[in-house]
Formats: sequence, structure tokens, C-alpha cells
Amino acid sequence: MNIGNMRSITKYTLLLSTLGLAALTSCSADGDNPGVEYAPQMYHSIAYEPLSQTRDKEAGKWLSNREDGLGEFYNSNDNNPHGMNMREPAPNTVQRTANGYLPYRIPMDSLEYAARVVKSPIEPTEQVLAEGMKLYTSYCAPCHGDAGDGNGSVGQVIGGVANFKGGAYINITEGHIFHVITQGKGRMGAHGSQITPENRWKIVHYVKQLQTK
Amino acid sequence: MSIKRSLTKVHVIAGFFVAMLALVAFSSPVQAQDIPSDEASIAAGKSLFGANCAQCHKLDQKYTGPALRGVTGRRELPWIKSFIKNSSKLIATDADAKALFQEYGGTVMPPHEFLADEEIMQLLAYIENGDKGGDKADADGAATDGGAAQSGDSSMPSEYLTVILVVLVVVLLLILIVLGLIISVLTKFLNDKKDLDEDEKEYINQKTDLKKVFKSEGFILIVTAIVVALIAKTAIDGLYSIGIQQGYAPAQPIAFSHQLHAGQYGIDCQYCHTGVEIGKSANIPSANICMNCHQHIKNVGGAEGFSPEIKKIYDAVENNEPIEWVRIHNLPDLAYFNHSQHVKVGGVECQTCHGQIQEMEVVAQHSPLTMGWCIDCHRTTDVNTAGNAYYDNLVKLHGDGNAMKVADIGGLECAKCHY
Repeated sequence: MNIGNMRSITKYTLLLSTLGLAALTSCSADGDNPGVEYAPQMYHSIAYEPLSQTRDKEAGKWLSNREDGLGEFYNSNDNNPHGMNMREPAPNTVQRTANGYLPYRIPMDSLEYAARVVKSPIEPTEQVLAEGMKLYTSYCAPCHGDAGDGNGSVGQVIGGVANFKGGAYINITEGHIFHVITQGKGRMGAHGSQITPENRWKIVHYVKQLQTK
Repeated sequence: MSIKRSLTKVHVIAGFFVAMLALVAFSSPVQAQDIPSDEASIAAGKSLFGANCAQCHKLDQKYTGPALRGVTGRRELPWIKSFIKNSSKLIATDADAKALFQEYGGTVMPPHEFLADEEIMQLLAYIENGDKGGDKADADGAATDGGAAQSGDSSMPSEYLTVILVVLVVVLLLILIVLGLIISVLTKFLNDKKDLDEDEKEYINQKTDLKKVFKSEGFILIVTAIVVALIAKTAIDGLYSIGIQQGYAPAQPIAFSHQLHAGQYGIDCQYCHTGVEIGKSANIPSANICMNCHQHIKNVGGAEGFSPEIKKIYDAVENNEPIEWVRIHNLPDLAYFNHSQHVKVGGVECQTCHGQIQEMEVVAQHSPLTMGWCIDCHRTTDVNTAGNAYYDNLVKLHGDGNAMKVADIGGLECAKCHY
């Protein structure tokens, strides 16, 4: 084999491998680029997938064999507002839970009534208090502080956070606490959508315990 | 004479001023001598203030409620007392109280009927006389604390490493220069010698022929080997990254910072990602959860005005439109993953899979989410069976004293995740 021939072979190999490398480096994910998917049909759900939504009807058309002629990656429910894949519960329906809790219906401004009537369905056992402490740390401590004195790191920014040990709050009833967690009060927002009723009661029992410390 | 006269004049003027001052003092709503100023009262007032007022009031700064120092100069004592005891009652009847209530956004001050008159006087003693400049000192203290905490985070070892490297490079360069100098000195010295023959002279004055070096077989061989190795490594790395989204950090519709929320303010992950212990998905918080805090916080870092990023939450709520966050962790449709199973049952920390989220300004995918990565963890993680009587016997019968791994209770079975 003469040298000239060998040179040209080396040249082509180099050129090809550089091109190949350039193509390969764009495979990995970085910033806005999710990278190349291997067998994309295995990644993209055909069934409606909560928390992911592809509204572009053309997405993945190049490999689509869907009967409706849309792109393979299209995943969006046109019957819902904003094409969402999740639905809000139907109006005027009641959620059934394992422990039989019914939705809390006492309106926000009826705090005094709730404080008088609402009673805890669970006992403050040791386990309930331990779980209450964990929940309190997650949901309440950012504002009310670990000790309940109203000086959590977020609370200091928001301001006006209740000190559970202050005179205005030391004697509040369990119904009062439950109502305020659920519906909010003053500067505090309603936390009913974030915390299940049972967990709210656990927090209530923990707060009552915290007040005696 | 004239000196005496002017002195009397001064006396008269001084007397006039004293009288005026006294008049001003007596005509102000609360008589100064009513407010105790002894240390004991101030200390008692301070603890009362801390327990009942500090959540909404500061002495010298506007907070949720007005700055309180000087309140006895602005209002009558009975007015102050009835506002403290039950502000709602007073607001209903008194125009001043109503104006104040509206000025501070209609936030109701809870009633403090449990406070005795004596305690209110102690409170006022603290409000008027206590902690002068205290708020500022507190704020400064907090600021320096934060600064110290942040500077403490920076990793010292990597800095040291860079310094050592730079020093090494400098030393090597110096050695090179010294060697070059030695060569030139030696060449000069040998050239000055008279008793050298031609061969020796040629040897001394030879120039390194770069072209020859580049064309030598050894050089070409080494360079080719290095280039091929590099290409092969990049190619293999590139091939392995296909289908792996590790490092994916897309721009989100709102420039939300986990570093600020979870890191600086220490808000628990579960506060927003409420589904993580009860369901398959951790959930992206709905706008009402953002609003629990952001109904009050409209800008970053206590700045005035309305941050355009925070305004996007308000727009979403007003228009009842979802915020379309970009999903980062896309597990292939062929694999099933359940958050509650790992977080609630397994007690796995969020950071184990998601990395140090609380330090991320923009969230990036930390883990490769490959099957090998899942399996590795299932093989090495102990099952926490403490307090679960079902497992006691199982551990006793099967284990040889070692804790069971996730793999031992079916963590490697295909159908656990693929079905």
C-alpha cells in the first residue's frame, strides 16, 4: 500500500470520527436539552399521564402509528380545561376516605362556633404526638417556629405569626386550632388542601402539647 | 449693670422655655409620670412584649402593625388600653381606630383581655423606654449570622488544590527558565574555548530540528494512539448518555429557586410536594399553596414593589390557569415508580435521589434514573424493620444476624417495577 493512499484513509477516518463525535456529544442532557431518547416510544405514555403533558399534536409524528393520526408524543386531554390530564373532582360530590372523614364545612368566619363544637376524633397517643411533631415541623414550623413561639424563618418575613404560648392563644381549644389550620385566619392561609384531616388532628394534639412546655 | 440685666433676661427666657416644655408635656395625651420607667417594669414589659406583641409589632419599625415607640405621645391612655384589650370593639366605635385598622390592611389584632392594667403599664414602660436601637442591633446580628453561615459553606479543599496547582506550575516554569539559562551559559563557555575540533563544535551548536521530531515514527505513533483513545472514550461516553437525562435543567415558567425556599428558609419539601407520602407522585404545588406565603411576600429580599416572577402566581390565580412547569424527571413509561413507597415506607431522604435540591437555584436531574442505578440501591440498602413485628421473625429466620437488604424482600423482581 502506498503512503498517499494511507494518508487519505487516515484523513477520512479522522473526518468521520469528528463528525460522529459532534453528533454524540449532543446526545447527553444539559440545560434545556433533555438529550437523545433511546426508543422514544417506550418513554412517552400513550395513556394520560398525570404531571406530564404534551400539547403539541405534531410531536413525534415521524414515528407515529397512532390511529387518530396524531403525533406519537401527544399526551393531553382535550376534554379538560387547558387540556389537563388531571381532573378536578366533580362538583357537589363527597370524597370517601378510609376513616370516614367527611369534608369540613364550617365556613372560615365561624371560628368561635368551630372552637366550641369541633372535637377531635383521635386520641393523643404517643404515636399520634410523634407523628404530629413530624407534621408540625413540615407544615407549621417554617412560620410558627419549632417551639411554637411564632419566630420561624419564614414567619419573620411574613410577620403577624401567632405565638402559641402567648396569652391570646394559650387557652385556645382543639376545635379552634383545627379550624384555623383548615380555613386559615388573619394572615395565615388555608392549609386544608395540603394536609389530610387526620394529619391535621395529629398536629392539633402536638400543638396542645407544645403549649404546655 | 448691663451684665446683670442680660443675665436676668436669659433667666426669663429659660424660664419661658421650661414652662413651654412643661406645657407640652402636660398637654400630651399620656402624662409621662404615668408610665413606669424602673428597670423591673421594663424587664417585665419586655417579656410580655416578646410573648404577645413581637409577632406583629416592632418598637421603631413598621411591621405587620405600626411601630410602637411613642404611642403614648400619640394616643390617650384609655384608648391604648381598650385597643390592646379588644381592638375590634374599639374599631367599631372609634374613627381613629378604624382609620388605623384600614391603614394596616384590615388585619385584626387578637384581643388581649387577659392582660391586667398593671401589665399594660409594664408593656408601655418597655415600649417607651426599652431597647433603644435594639431592633437595628437584632437585624444586624441576624444579617451577620446569615453571612457567616454562607461563607462557612464554601469548600476549602478545592481552593487549596487550585493554589497548590498554581504554585507547582510556577515552580516548574522557573526550573525550565533556569535550565535554559544554564544551557546558554554552557554553550557560550564552550564556544569561547579554543581547543575544540569541528565535530565537537557542531555538537555544541546543534539546533533541535522540530520538523524531524514531528515526522519521526515514534511521535506519530504516540499522537495517533492518544487521539484514538480520546475519540473512543468520547464515543463510548456519548453512547452511554443516550436515553439518560442526568443533568437536564430546563428553564421553568417561573424562576423558582429551591435554594431560597428550601435552603435559606428551610421549608420542608413536603410543605409543597404534598403527595410524596400518600401517592405515586410527589406533586407540583398548586398556586394556592404558593399563596399561603406570597399573599404577603410580593418581592424578593424585602424589596419594594411587585416582582414579575411572583406576579405570575397572582396571574395564574386570577385567570384560574395552571402554571405549566416543565417536567424534569421523566421515568420511561415502561417502569413503575411510587414515591410513597420509598419516602413513607422506606424512609428514604428526598436528597438521596434528587441531590442537594436545597442548594439548587435551577433544579437539575441529579441521578441517572437507569435500571442499574435502581438495582444498585436495592442491593445495598438495609430494610428498616425496627418496630415492625411482622419482620422480627423473618429477620431471625433468614438473616445471619445481618439486616435484610431491599433485594431480599423482592427488590430485584422484574414485576415489581415492570408490568
